[in-house]
Amino acid sequence: MEKHYRSIFRLWQRSGKTICAFVLMFVASSVAFAQQRTIKGTVTDETNLPLPGVVVTVKSTGKATSTTANGIYQVVVSGPDDVIKFTFLGSLPKEVTVGDKKVVNVTMVTDTKQLKDVVVIGYGTASRKDVTGAITSVKADEFNQGVLTTPAELLQGKVAGLNITKSGDPNKPPATVLRGPSTLRDGAAIQPFYVIDGVPGASIDLLAPADIESIDVLKDASSTAIYGSRAANGVIIVTTRRAKAGQTRLTYSAYGAVENVSKNIDVLTGDELRKYLTDNGVPKLSTADDDGSNTNWQKLAERTGYSQNHNLSYGGAGTNSEYGASVNYMKNNGILKNTSLERTIYKGYINQRFFNDRLKLGITLTNSVTKNNDIFQAQVLPGILFYLPTVGPFNADGTYKENYTRTGSGPLNPLSLINNNFIKTENNKTLINGFASVDILNGLKFTVSASTQKEQNNVNTYSTSQSGIYVNAGGVAVRSAYTNTSNVLEAYFNYDRVFGKHSLKLLGGYSYQQDRNNDGFGVQTQGFSNDALTYNFLALSNPTQLSQIIFNPNYISTLRQISFYARAQYQFSDKYLLQGSIREDGSSAFGVNHRHGYFPAASAGWKITNEDFMKSVPVISDLKLRAGYGVSGNSLGFDAFTAQLIYGVPPGGGKFLSNGNIVNPIGPVRNPNPDLKWESTATTNIGLDFGILNNRITGSVDYYIKKTSDLITTLQVSTTQYFYQYLTANVGKMKNTGIEVVINAIPVKSQAFTWRTSLNVSHNKNVVESLSQGNLALPYIQTAQLGGKGQSGNFSQIIQPGYALGTFDLWHYMGKNANGVSTFQKADGSVVATQPLTTDQFIKYDAQPKLIYGWSNSFFYKGFDLNFLVRGVYGNKILNGTLASLNNPADAKLQNIPRFTLGESFKDINAYLVSDRFLESGSYLRLDNATLGYTIKPHIQAIKSLRFYASGNNIFIITKYRGVDPEVNIGGLTPGIDNRDFYPKTRTFSLGMTASF
Amino acid sequence: MKKIFIMCAAIAVIMSTSSCTKLNVPVESQYVQSNFPTTDADYTALLGTIYANLSSSYAVPYWRMQDMSTDEAILPARDGNFDDGGQYRQLHYHSWTFDHPNVIGVWQWGFGGINTCNRIISVINASSSTAAKKASSVAEVRAMRALYLYFMMDLYGNVPIITDFPVTTQPTNQPRAKVYDFIESELKAVLPLLPAKSSNAATNVGQYGRPTKGMVFALLAKMYLNSGVYTGTNRYQETVTMCDSVQTNTNYFLDARYRDIFLPTNGPGVNETIFAVPYDQQIPGNQFTRFGFFYYLVQAYGFNVGLSIAMSTTPEFYNRFNIPGDDRSKTWLAGPQFYPDGNGGFTNQPVYYPAPNATKQINIIPTLTLTGLKPMDLGNDVVTSQSEGVRSIKYYPDINIIQATRLNSNDVPVFRLADIYLMKAEAILRGAAPTTINGDAQTPLTLVNKLRTRAHADAATSIDLDGLLDERARELSWEAWRRNDLIRYGLFEKEYPLPVAGGKTDDLKMNTDPTRRLYPIPSTELKTNPNLKQNPGY
Repeated sequence: MEKHYRSIFRLWQRSGKTICAFVLMFVASSVAFAQQRTIKGTVTDETNLPLPGVVVTVKSTGKATSTTANGIYQVVVSGPDDVIKFTFLGSLPKEVTVGDKKVVNVTMVTDTKQLKDVVVIGYGTASRKDVTGAITSVKADEFNQGVLTTPAELLQGKVAGLNITKSGDPNKPPATVLRGPSTLRDGAAIQPFYVIDGVPGASIDLLAPADIESIDVLKDASSTAIYGSRAANGVIIVTTRRAKAGQTRLTYSAYGAVENVSKNIDVLTGDELRKYLTDNGVPKLSTADDDGSNTNWQKLAERTGYSQNHNLSYGGAGTNSEYGASVNYMKNNGILKNTSLERTIYKGYINQRFFNDRLKLGITLTNSVTKNNDIFQAQVLPGILFYLPTVGPFNADGTYKENYTRTGSGPLNPLSLINNNFIKTENNKTLINGFASVDILNGLKFTVSASTQKEQNNVNTYSTSQSGIYVNAGGVAVRSAYTNTSNVLEAYFNYDRVFGKHSLKLLGGYSYQQDRNNDGFGVQTQGFSNDALTYNFLALSNPTQLSQIIFNPNYISTLRQISFYARAQYQFSDKYLLQGSIREDGSSAFGVNHRHGYFPAASAGWKITNEDFMKSVPVISDLKLRAGYGVSGNSLGFDAFTAQLIYGVPPGGGKFLSNGNIVNPIGPVRNPNPDLKWESTATTNIGLDFGILNNRITGSVDYYIKKTSDLITTLQVSTTQYFYQYLTANVGKMKNTGIEVVINAIPVKSQAFTWRTSLNVSHNKNVVESLSQGNLALPYIQTAQLGGKGQSGNFSQIIQPGYALGTFDLWHYMGKNANGVSTFQKADGSVVATQPLTTDQFIKYDAQPKLIYGWSNSFFYKGFDLNFLVRGVYGNKILNGTLASLNNPADAKLQNIPRFTLGESFKDINAYLVSDRFLESGSYLRLDNATLGYTIKPHIQAIKSLRFYASGNNIFIITKYRGVDPEVNIGGLTPGIDNRDFYPKTRTFSLGMTASF
Repeated sequence: MKKIFIMCAAIAVIMSTSSCTKLNVPVESQYVQSNFPTTDADYTALLGTIYANLSSSYAVPYWRMQDMSTDEAILPARDGNFDDGGQYRQLHYHSWTFDHPNVIGVWQWGFGGINTCNRIISVINASSSTAAKKASSVAEVRAMRALYLYFMMDLYGNVPIITDFPVTTQPTNQPRAKVYDFIESELKAVLPLLPAKSSNAATNVGQYGRPTKGMVFALLAKMYLNSGVYTGTNRYQETVTMCDSVQTNTNYFLDARYRDIFLPTNGPGVNETIFAVPYDQQIPGNQFTRFGFFYYLVQAYGFNVGLSIAMSTTPEFYNRFNIPGDDRSKTWLAGPQFYPDGNGGFTNQPVYYPAPNATKQINIIPTLTLTGLKPMDLGNDVVTSQSEGVRSIKYYPDINIIQATRLNSNDVPVFRLADIYLMKAEAILRGAAPTTINGDAQTPLTLVNKLRTRAHADAATSIDLDGLLDERARELSWEAWRRNDLIRYGLFEKEYPLPVAGGKTDDLKMNTDPTRRLYPIPSTELKTNPNLKQNPGY
């Protein structure tokens, strides 16, 4: 109040109305002059540090002040019955009745619950109890720990309905699927939309996990629709750590980790393979295929991976400014040789308030440099399984041993592949974000935020003159350098008012985003006199033919998206909540006739516990019913030319002879589709939040129906009508229905020991409803070409109305015949012991899990804390293509076989055929993470706290799956397939510490 | 306060200005409607799509449909390798379905080419060129459209006739005879506007691989010879007339060496080529070495890339190469193998298998003996199974072949003078009157013996229709006309069963239903165009 008056006073002073204001103020402050006296005191936090900026309010007069830098305050109270109220963001409020005290010292206690209760909802925050949509918030103390490089990994197993699959590859981001697949596209189209500190679409590479304060996952369309056309896969809002008012903080955290392969495929040793061949009457192999070695190629390719991570962050917040900075360094060596990820992130921000806090200006600068080393995985991963163990890696003269005449599935020396072919990527991203927010009138606030994200991506590959991939080429180098720029402008008004029992929050805004990608070039050349310079000096190459110089056919793509949005939230009597929003999105990606899309949403909530009749049921401490409906779109993964007629070199890259010269033909390479429109997902969500026994047990249940229409895919069209045989068009509908249950409980809570537990279980059912729209009607789309001996061109999955995405369509295995040969059922029902036809495939099972669950537990005993997370999936199938192609007795002279094959007849010439025999249960239960920590809070000023912890990831797994690990990618268009390219799954142990000063 | 309001107002103004609401973005790195085509080079590049498309699928998918469905070529599996979903054995046994990858791909290739032509015609007509230049460009495109449509009519029979782009209504099938009439009328219409082969080498370079009067005459000759198949009415005398029209241009004459016509270096210098599809390391589509050569011979032939080990001819077809001295027999590799002498012959230096058979001379076995264990499968043993099947070096291996693409640079002839001779001979044998051209009184026997003489083969003393078919086999092997010939002779359904090890018989039999003389309308087209009707028998 006092502050407010002062600001008005100052303004009026300037406009020459000094006297008037002075009188007014004098009158106002002289009303309750009676028994006043002065109270002094110091406010400290739990670590006895003085807390500046704590708001101290005198209840009788309503006067407020805030503590000084030393935590000292002084107020005037009206008498012994008066009450002083201390409030501080993030702490439990405290009230003290004055009595006859003259000095009141107070210790503020951090309110972990209150932190948890703030939910970021997009262009604003809300209290958890006022939320009407399906939003899960995960705070830093609940994150997974270990060698985790992306925000998604922090959430694995923590959010009901969010399915995250991660391989052991440090360079591969995890696949995330929220509430089932809702698109027929892959890549960016299936990624959730990230909003980092209010910057939509910012890169997650700019985030150091240690800097993250909280992550909010917006799951239903009534919550996500405010982000419109980018939100169909859910929105993940990341909030980074900031210093609290009046604090300075300095934190250093670090860990070191050791990673090992958790499981290898059990293939034969050289001796075992020799014996197997001899036993089955195969003549001794030539020395080119058997030099007496016992080579374990998996072991040769693998190593123990060491990782380290250091994070230093500091910051402070005074009365008018906040600032902070952090540095993060992470190095993660993959468990395959020559693979690694190294990242350095610098971040700094400064925010300043002016005009009595009416104007706030801020700028944040983030830079991240990521360096990847990678190998040619597509060759190495099958190679280490298939390559003959009977040969060693080297010839007598030290060169790599190769037998180029050998055919089969793993024909090149894997160690040579690893050491003679490498990919080095350096990615440099900078994000600059500035914002200004203005309190225009009481309750009316205007915010404008502008950001530029610039990414420089340099990818270099080199295959040495010894490379088995490019024999006699004298080294092949590829260099490419591309810049991607993204500019975002967000401007919005917030208006928050309370009128008696009515509370109203309004939002209206505008958003502009332009992404300009692929500005750069790439070139390939070959023929170097030696390998010393690798790809660094292309001018010294000696290509002998024009066709050995290849320019990358990448093109600059500029995509612009312009949106207007509005939201209204209304609350009556703290019982009834209503929310409605609409967003209009325009994107240059779509056909000229359908560039604009409208994405409405509405939801309602009823806080049942606040009704009078609930007062008689004290056991129920919280009960809220939520219901919402909303539409969100999907325009992720499109470029500016998706719907346009493009001229280019037709596929195949062939040139033609023009008057004796060989020149590029140029013709249309994309059909225009002026009718291409937004893929949109409508979600109905009904949820119930509950808390019983004074919220010792809380939880929620959500049921949803998610219908995606106007699914976009690139389909084959009639070349008698179109001029190019592919058209990107809207073709159908898909539906996901599901239920999510979350239960949190504190079974034990005492002074010394606390046990918190949280279980989330979700079930989703996916079905493709139709694949026809307009004059396009597809009976089905075949997907998942696994290749394999004599099976190239065969599809293993089918997208067909009535079935889930990822439905398998395979030959049906009918057991072995009398000769031990695998038999299969033909379409006409007969059984054959020969390779069936592609028309003999049957639809069976799908890759969608029936249940996904996560169970986390935290135990606190004095300074110790123990956390563990068990998570898993149930009811999905995986096609073990790796086992199928390894299981080839007849080819054991060309490739290695797994121990599994020893149980097969040597005569089984069909053993390797991909059929439902290799369709296996993908269910698993994994003890994914266990962390034991100890926190010391020394009572000295220099150190606030010290925490040491030991953590293990992927400690054990229970599964029937016969492959390396059942956690195969279940995102994308071809989920649930393990096909010879499985990066080994790892087990990690790490030691870490966090020190706060 | 005032400042704040001014700022808000300014933001509101910025937001409402057009730059912040316009969705059109500048096109910087793609050719789109607004910036292409504009220059002469653009139009050349645009026309190039017709030819690049032609070469993309002529020598592999189209060729497979024309030759692997006959005794001329076969691609048996090797212990499951190269079964590739059964597509090769389906060609061999005529058991293809409307899902067959070639049936689908070649239709898309052909009609993609036709639609390309239609689109280019509209672009040319809208351009600002001179009327004469437009007319000659349109004539060239229409001739190519007629050629594409001929390929489609020959393979699928009752195909749509499409002359416009874009097509407003989904096209319907037309009876084969009507398509035939349309092609004939188009060819006749454009004939006067097309160039003729000259004696000027530079002019011939410019015309090479493009339609000429000679190509139109040759295509009409092919149409008339097969007129009975296509329309039910024979036109043998007109066949002779068209063959003579080709010959009137004396710039077409037989080259001295049969082998030279098909070398990797072939091109406009080959005098008997009327129309060929040019190939190069940069013009992909010719992979005869990749599929049809014998892998273990690569080093002996001077290159080193991995090849398939699969495609060969059948013993029945190979047995026709039985004339003493015939150079054309040397296009096949059979029996013990020696190093080539670089001039079409062989040295005495044997080529050996790799270890562990390093002392064994490579021996190619003409007989294809199935294992009986897998469909049309020979097994995968190097010295027995892999060595079965007579390989072809007619399109002689290109030593510039590289592993990544495995391409040949040999241009593949579509029409050449030898075929004209044989068509004329056949037409006369089928009842047309012999004619004298350029002072040469041509009879079937003299025509055949021109080719025999060039090939250094013993001359024939007589020739009948059966002998002529065998002569066509020898002269035109692997030139994508075998199916056309066999259908005309009514022999497309003749079975040539493969022996099975252990005296068993092949499980798979040829589907001898004459409806197989047409390929089915592809599943993908029926799905996307409800106006198309399937051919009978499918």
